[in-house]
Amino acid sequence: MTPALDLQQVNKRYGDFHAVRDLGFSVEPGTIFGFLGPNGAGKTSTLRMVLGLIPPTSGRITVLGASDPTTVRDRIGFLPEERGLYRRMTPVEAVVFFAGLKGVPAAKAKRRGIELLESQGLGDALNRPMKALSKGMAQKVQLVCALAHDPELVILDEPFSGLDPVNQQGLEELIRGLADRGATVIFSTHVMAHAERLCRRIVLMARGRKVFDGTVREACASATQRLVLEGAITREQALALPGVVSVEAARIEDDGPMRLLADLARDAQPQAALKAAFERGLDLTQFRVEAPTLHEAFIVLTGGAA
Amino acid sequence: MIRLLKIARREYVSYLRTPGFWISLCVAPLVLGFALMGGPKALQSAAPPPRLTVIDLTRSGFDRALQPTLSGEPPLAEIVAPPPASTDAGSPEQAIAPLRAALSARGERALDLVVIISGVSTKARVDFWTRDPTTSSLAGLVERAVGDRMRQNRLIAAGLPSNLLKSVDAVQPEVRSFSPRARSERVSFRDQAPTLLALGLAFVLWMAVVTGAGILLNSVIEEKSGRILEVLMSCASIPEILGGKILGVAGLTGTVLAVWGALGLAAVSRTSPHLLGELGGALLSHGLIVWFVLFFAGGYLMYASIFAAIGAFCETSREAQTLLGPLMIVLSIPMVFLSLAQQRPDAPVIVILSWVPLFTPFLMIARIASGLPLWQVAGALLEMAATAAVIMWLCARAFRAGALSGGGKLDVKRLLAAFARPAET
Repeated sequence: MTPALDLQQVNKRYGDFHAVRDLGFSVEPGTIFGFLGPNGAGKTSTLRMVLGLIPPTSGRITVLGASDPTTVRDRIGFLPEERGLYRRMTPVEAVVFFAGLKGVPAAKAKRRGIELLESQGLGDALNRPMKALSKGMAQKVQLVCALAHDPELVILDEPFSGLDPVNQQGLEELIRGLADRGATVIFSTHVMAHAERLCRRIVLMARGRKVFDGTVREACASATQRLVLEGAITREQALALPGVVSVEAARIEDDGPMRLLADLARDAQPQAALKAAFERGLDLTQFRVEAPTLHEAFIVLTGGAA
Repeated sequence: MIRLLKIARREYVSYLRTPGFWISLCVAPLVLGFALMGGPKALQSAAPPPRLTVIDLTRSGFDRALQPTLSGEPPLAEIVAPPPASTDAGSPEQAIAPLRAALSARGERALDLVVIISGVSTKARVDFWTRDPTTSSLAGLVERAVGDRMRQNRLIAAGLPSNLLKSVDAVQPEVRSFSPRARSERVSFRDQAPTLLALGLAFVLWMAVVTGAGILLNSVIEEKSGRILEVLMSCASIPEILGGKILGVAGLTGTVLAVWGALGLAAVSRTSPHLLGELGGALLSHGLIVWFVLFFAGGYLMYASIFAAIGAFCETSREAQTLLGPLMIVLSIPMVFLSLAQQRPDAPVIVILSWVPLFTPFLMIARIASGLPLWQVAGALLEMAATAAVIMWLCARAFRAGALSGGGKLDVKRLLAAFARPAET
């Protein structure tokens, strides 16, 4: 199957600054793909190259089977990180204009625009000028503008920023809906929780380089597991358990048991620590293994570049 | 092409909806109508003429001689009779003494100007006393009238009869103007109309270019600051965006010019219908209207591209000022020479400047009506078209770099870097 997006040995330089180095990955059609990384990692430059806004210094980019992304721009929907719309336009006019630029006839764009805007809870604001809308409403209008032409590839740059939790959840559902109908969604975000919930695959960037390419589970596996220990246990006893490399924090609850958070070495087995705790007769009321989150994996994989 | 037209349409419609467009559409005809329909008279009544008194210490009729010069319709001054203490004074210093308070006062009793004429009838001295040291508007008129009277006094003293003097003063030559290039050798309004019209068209062209490019600049700044440019660039190519915006604003400027032109024609056909034929003939003479359209297109494309490229780097008008200042100085150069281009179209400085592509649209239009050789007009047009093409190409590169840049101070160095390496800016 032809990938929706394929990058090979892509480099981007701005004068002496190397923004993207030897980047290569591909995205399967119909998937939700997370493109993650801290600020300055090269995400925006990469997305701009994918959209054909700037040319790569070297390397090859294939978008929806085309080596020149500008030839398939009508099949791509794009929501940039920094958003804005014409202040005097109404949401419906904005959708008709941008969908029109993607080749959708005005009547169809209007029909589809109203449908999408209403589904986003903007039914009362269809004909109000953009300058009269709240920031969250304007963001949703721009999202609708990016989707009104039914794109095959949707690129969302930090789509969750500025949205309240309810709207973030709505956006997650929308993204899942896009993938369900066969569109490929690529989004960048700083909030790992969204990527963890949405993505099958992620690419993690740091300082212009790809530092991880794989599934979310594989990414999480690169971070260490953590034990939560509760009961009459001291820091020293916890540190003496096999595989424990550090006890990060200890919290004493008022009139309650002690809780320790113990980090395990990468290849350590939690079962070994549990067995040792029984053998040593430690008075534990809770022994829990916490799987690492993508957020923790992000920090480990980027080397704290954020 | 469809995207270009859609962007042009949006640009056109968005400005059509603004109050500013309708205000600018109406202001010029209103000002012109005000000027033609008695505006100056209304202004005159709103600003009464200065109050003036003339003290003739020579007692030889200089005060009476000044009456026809200063009164009239509308009167240049309200002449107030001087107090006896001044007319009976023996010197200018004594004459002004009773009037000093009036020169400093305000209200009905105030005086704006006191003219004291002393000496003798054939060798007079004129002292001007004004409320405001910067006021000198009537000094020249008074000087000429007193001078004429002194010469008359001398001639009468030399024995010339006063009635002969009057008849001699009334003698005026019959002036006729001829030119081998005039239609019937004798110069008429019909011969001068194309030159005057060309001057007017050059001015209109300048106004249209400055206004249109200004609108475009603000439009791009709005899109840049509103984070719209990047989305537009993901939907259309730079030539489509730039071309659409330029076309949209050109349509807007064209609408304004068309409305003004129609109103002007309506006004002329109502007030002076015989001029319609003259104006029509003038527009067609030397292909003036055709050249106007071509030079307008070239000039507009050049300046609009430059303004748009500057706008792409700026999020506020203040940021754009750094480069707009020098650009406006460049744009003002042809205006300085426009009058000379009409009066002396073959003056070396005008010929040289009219071949500078940035000035060509304005100065060539002003020169065309003088009957320039076709090779000069066509050559300048081709040179301007080539320059416009290069400028548009460079500005498209800069526009791309500016649109994706993160803002910040815009200077010449940064703009030139964007021209050279847009992908690395």
